[in-house]
Amino acid sequence: MDIIEIEKLSHRFSDGTLGLDRLNLKIQAGAFVVIAGPNGSGKTTLIRHLNGLLLPTEGCVKVAGVSVQKDLMRARRLVGMMFQDADSQIVGETVYQDVAFGPENLRLDHDQIHERVASAVDAVGLQDFMEQRPHLLSGGEKRRLAIAGILAMEPRVIAFDEPFASLDYPGVKQVLSQILTLHQAGHTILVITHDLEKVFAHAQRLIVMQKGKIVRDGVPADIVSDIETFGVRAPCASYLGMEVRSWLN
Amino acid sequence: MAELTSFSFHPGTSLLHKLDVRFKLLFLILISLISLGGGLTGLVILSTLLTAVVIHSRLPLKSALREFRLFLIFLLLVLGARMLTVPGAALIEIQSIAITRPGLISGALICWRMVIIALLGFLFVFSTRSSEIKAAVQWFLKPAAFIPAKRVATMMGLIARFIPAILNQARETAEAQRARCVENRKNPLYRLIQIGAPLIRRTFEQADRLTVAMEARCYSENRTDPALSATRLDWIALLIILIICAWILSI
Repeated sequence: MDIIEIEKLSHRFSDGTLGLDRLNLKIQAGAFVVIAGPNGSGKTTLIRHLNGLLLPTEGCVKVAGVSVQKDLMRARRLVGMMFQDADSQIVGETVYQDVAFGPENLRLDHDQIHERVASAVDAVGLQDFMEQRPHLLSGGEKRRLAIAGILAMEPRVIAFDEPFASLDYPGVKQVLSQILTLHQAGHTILVITHDLEKVFAHAQRLIVMQKGKIVRDGVPADIVSDIETFGVRAPCASYLGMEVRSWLN
Repeated sequence: MAELTSFSFHPGTSLLHKLDVRFKLLFLILISLISLGGGLTGLVILSTLLTAVVIHSRLPLKSALREFRLFLIFLLLVLGARMLTVPGAALIEIQSIAITRPGLISGALICWRMVIIALLGFLFVFSTRSSEIKAAVQWFLKPAAFIPAKRVATMMGLIARFIPAILNQARETAEAQRARCVENRKNPLYRLIQIGAPLIRRTFEQADRLTVAMEARCYSENRTDPALSATRLDWIALLIILIICAWILSI
C-alpha cells in the first residue's frame, strides 16, 4: 500500500522560483527512503508538502489516501517532521513540556497526554531528563527530543531533514540507531540528506533530486555509480567497489 | 551546550514554583501597585520579602543583573533626570547646574520601585511556564466576553516564550561583533545600528522557523491547557501578601 502519493506536484515560490517541477512519487508504507540532492534541489520543499506546511501550486499530495489540502490536521498528525535545526523545533521549557506540545494541540486529556509523553520519552531514552531544560541538552539529545515530540503525535510517516547535520560521531550513532528503531517499529522513514555516507547502508530506496525534479530513483547500490553528476557525494566505500558499511558497526 | 538567558523558566521545587500561576499573577499585580504607592518603610518591607524569595527560589542574581544591565543604565538616567530637575536645596552646584536633595531622594525611590517591579517580573518568569501564563491570562479574561481571551493569552504565552530567545540572539550577535573588534568603535549609535539590524533580521528568521515547527505539530489556540488548581499553600500565600499590603498601606 502506498502511504504517500504525489502527482504532478509543482511549487512556485512567491519570488517566482520554481521549487518543484511536475514531480510524481509514490512511497510504500513501512519503507526506508533516502532523498538526496544538492542544496536548492527541492528536497525540503518536497517534504514540507507532505504535512501541508507548503501547499502545491499545481498537482496533488495524498497521505494514506486523503489529499493533504483537504485535511491539514490529519496530514500533520500522520506525517511527523524533524527539522534540520533541532533548536528551532523546541517549544517547551522542559523536556516533558516539549514532548507534550503536540498531544496538547490534539486536545487530548491530561492522562492521555501523560501516557503519550512517557511512552515517547521512553522510546528515545530521555526518561531521566523530563524536567531538564531542552536547550541544555547535547546535539544528539536534542535530536532525540525532537523525535520524541514527533512520536507523541503517533505518526505513521516520519521525515527527517538533514538529521545528522552538525552532530559529532556519538550523536550521529544515537540518531541513526533511533531512526532504525522507528523503522523496525513499522514507521515509514524519509531521510533527507546531501551526505549519503551515514545512512546509505540502511536505505531501501534512494531518490536523487536536482532542480525540483527526481533524476534518479531506485535501490541505492544500483544508482550510486553516477550519483556525483547530480552534486551528491557517493559513499567512500563505493569508490573501492566495496560494500558500504553501517555507521553503527 | 547552550548558555541560556536567566530571563526564562527554570524548573525547580521552591514554594514559588509550587504556587498556582493565577495567584502568582495576582501577587505580581498587587505588590507592583503597592510598591508604586509605598514610602521608604514600605519599600524596605517589600525588598526584605523579595530578598527572601530570591534566596529561597535560587534565582541566579548575578546573571539576572547581567541581563538587566541596560535596565540599570536606564535607572541611572532616571535618577540623573530627577536629581537635576526636582527643585529644592542643592547638594552640589556646578555653575547653573544643581543636584538637589529632594531630587536625589525622589529619584532613588522611583528607581527602587522600578527595581522591585522588574525583580517581581523576573521571579514570575523564572518560576512559571509560558503555557501556565497563557492558561492564567485566559482564566482571568474569560469573564470579559468582549476580549478574545484565547487569542490574547496565546499572544502573551508566545511573548513569554520569545523574550529569552531574543535575549539569546542579542547575546550571540553581540559576541560575534565583539569577536570582530566592534569595541574599537566608540560611537554608541553606530554600535546600536550594527547590532540592531542583524538582531531584528535573525529574530524574524527564528520566529519564522519556530512558527513552522509549531504548525507541523498542529498548533492552534484551542489546545489542552495545563490544569490550574489552587491549594491551601496558595490561599495561605494570598493571606500573607494581603496582610503585608495592608500593613504597608497603613504606614
